[in-house]
Amino acid sequence: MPNVSNLDMMMNPRSVAIIGASKNPDKVGHVILQNYVNAGYSGRLYPVNKDADEIMGLKAYARVGDIKDRIDLAVIAVPAKFVPGVLEECGKAGVKSTVVVSGGFAEIGQVKLQEDLVKIAKKYNMPTLGPNCLGVMDPRSRVDTLFLPTFKLSRPQIGGVSFVAQSGAVGSTILDLISGEGFGLSKFISYGNAAHIDEVDILEYLMNDDETKVIVMYIEGIRRGRDFVELAKKITKKKPVIVLKGGRTAQGMQAAHSHTASLAGSWESYEAVFRQFGFTIANDISELLHYAKIFASEPEPRGGRIGIVTNGGGVGVLAADAIGNSGLLKVGSLSDVTKKELRRKMPPLVNISNPIDIAGDAGEDRFNTAMSLLADDDGIDMLLVIALFQTPGADSTVAARLIHYKENSEKPMIVLTIGADYTRMHKIMMESAGLPVYDSPDAAVKALKALLMYYDYRNNTP
Amino acid sequence: MELLDYMKAKRILDNNGIHSVESMYVKSPGEALSFSGGEPIVMKLISGKALHKSKEGLVKLNLVKREEIEKAYKELREKGDRLGLKPYRIIVQKTARKGIEIIIGGKTDNDFGKMVLIGLGGIYVEAFRDFALGVCPVNGYDSMRMIHSLKSRDVITYQGKQEKEIEKLVEKVSTMLKKNEWIQELDLNPVIISENGYEIVDIRILR
Repeated sequence: MPNVSNLDMMMNPRSVAIIGASKNPDKVGHVILQNYVNAGYSGRLYPVNKDADEIMGLKAYARVGDIKDRIDLAVIAVPAKFVPGVLEECGKAGVKSTVVVSGGFAEIGQVKLQEDLVKIAKKYNMPTLGPNCLGVMDPRSRVDTLFLPTFKLSRPQIGGVSFVAQSGAVGSTILDLISGEGFGLSKFISYGNAAHIDEVDILEYLMNDDETKVIVMYIEGIRRGRDFVELAKKITKKKPVIVLKGGRTAQGMQAAHSHTASLAGSWESYEAVFRQFGFTIANDISELLHYAKIFASEPEPRGGRIGIVTNGGGVGVLAADAIGNSGLLKVGSLSDVTKKELRRKMPPLVNISNPIDIAGDAGEDRFNTAMSLLADDDGIDMLLVIALFQTPGADSTVAARLIHYKENSEKPMIVLTIGADYTRMHKIMMESAGLPVYDSPDAAVKALKALLMYYDYRNNTP
Repeated sequence: MELLDYMKAKRILDNNGIHSVESMYVKSPGEALSFSGGEPIVMKLISGKALHKSKEGLVKLNLVKREEIEKAYKELREKGDRLGLKPYRIIVQKTARKGIEIIIGGKTDNDFGKMVLIGLGGIYVEAFRDFALGVCPVNGYDSMRMIHSLKSRDVITYQGKQEKEIEKLVEKVSTMLKKNEWIQELDLNPVIISENGYEIVDIRILR
């Protein structure tokens, strides 16, 4: 089934040639080389440009064939009409893989040019990503073919989430957002026109990649539908896959055609396939991030009974409503032991039922007591802790307590906090420590539901 | 795409273990009467030019007496001639039990190939759009999840009593679609679910 195998060479190259590297800061090839230099890429780096002897202090070569070294990855950033010639040179020089960043192929009707590219890639059995793509990024190997400067697009820290995007625009936007999340990135692959390497190849690679714990994907179409189905059966048995699909409606589909020369299929069929094989469907970019962070850090839940701790009654009620509306989760009943202990340890104003309203003057000790009791209560499967930092009792010691608690928790636990600057500061603290934080009851509950649905699928599907 | 002859379509279903209500083409009211044998029957006009039989008044229900059968036969013929539906045929069927109408269907998706559909049926298909799709082949777990995803789940399964039956039917349809790649589209609509199981009342296969 694999169309192209061994993407590993592209993700972990020991040597990289950047074809079209330039001294001119306006050129894409300049930015790419600059990013490699900035990232501290530890492999061997070769700029290729026939008009320069040296770029950024590195010796430049007129042609890739002039380099006396094995090239694991060639990043090609030259105008489209020159790409086939350059690719042919790469093939002859024994380059192991290429990323064609250049646009100007099937997406603007230049189908023949794209077919030529595929022929050359196949002739030399040389995995080729793109054209018309951002390429790849791996914070571990420090490979970064993105032509977007680091001062504009922040690079995420190392983590377990791999992100596949057909579109460069959606890809870079989400990547920028991921850099602000606590969970970090394993691999980013933007594959553009998918002329040679397509989504099935990439998913297959990520399925078998041990560093990838969660896969997030943005797609507009799938080229090999039946192969995708066969892969889909296996992939979600190994790791969660979160998918956002563009081109659902007739209007969106038209845009998709002119965008990445992609054939968007009918949304209902896609949705059915995703559901049937346990994918988590995101409806927009923020949902995609909400799901990514819970899957990145939380363990498998035993069930859908939620225990809520809140230092604000009303938000607890909203969360309980969202749970009631979810159609799958339930507000769990507290055991007699939990109730008895709550009565014994909490001041009289604390409400002894679920949600446990520990009141606005609650400090870290009350949070700790309530969370510990829920952790030991067999009737509770997941914890939703609502920490409102506007309250008199809540400060950084509460955030620190939640982080500390998280490290010892065997049950999935997420935090809901709503507010402006002071809250945001604590949200960043908690997220950097790997605690998923949400800013609306609805988003929090959707994430808990997605977690349960995925493991339910994984455990029950034959 | 062309519509497959009804009785041929019925035989293909039969060969795949999917049984539909007893049906027969008739060339006279007399043949219809002997088919009835005193039991109430349904009489329909079938033509490639008429897609929605019930909407266009081409279905006559609950016919028992000789006069009823003769009258229905005459009216359908006249209507068929008047609306220019030739060539057409008249078919008679045993009357199904009362129950909940569902649809089970199949389509060929450009990306994923054969897909099977289940939903609330009859006249409600388009109004409520309560359906679930699955890519073939679907197994028992898949069809169970498809049924569970429907809003009308409890209604169409008779509070779960007919769930297993419907699950098996969806699986059989999926198997049939995979075995017969030439089937482009399929409608079993309505399939009537009652206390006693299911009865397939109308079949459309497009090739």
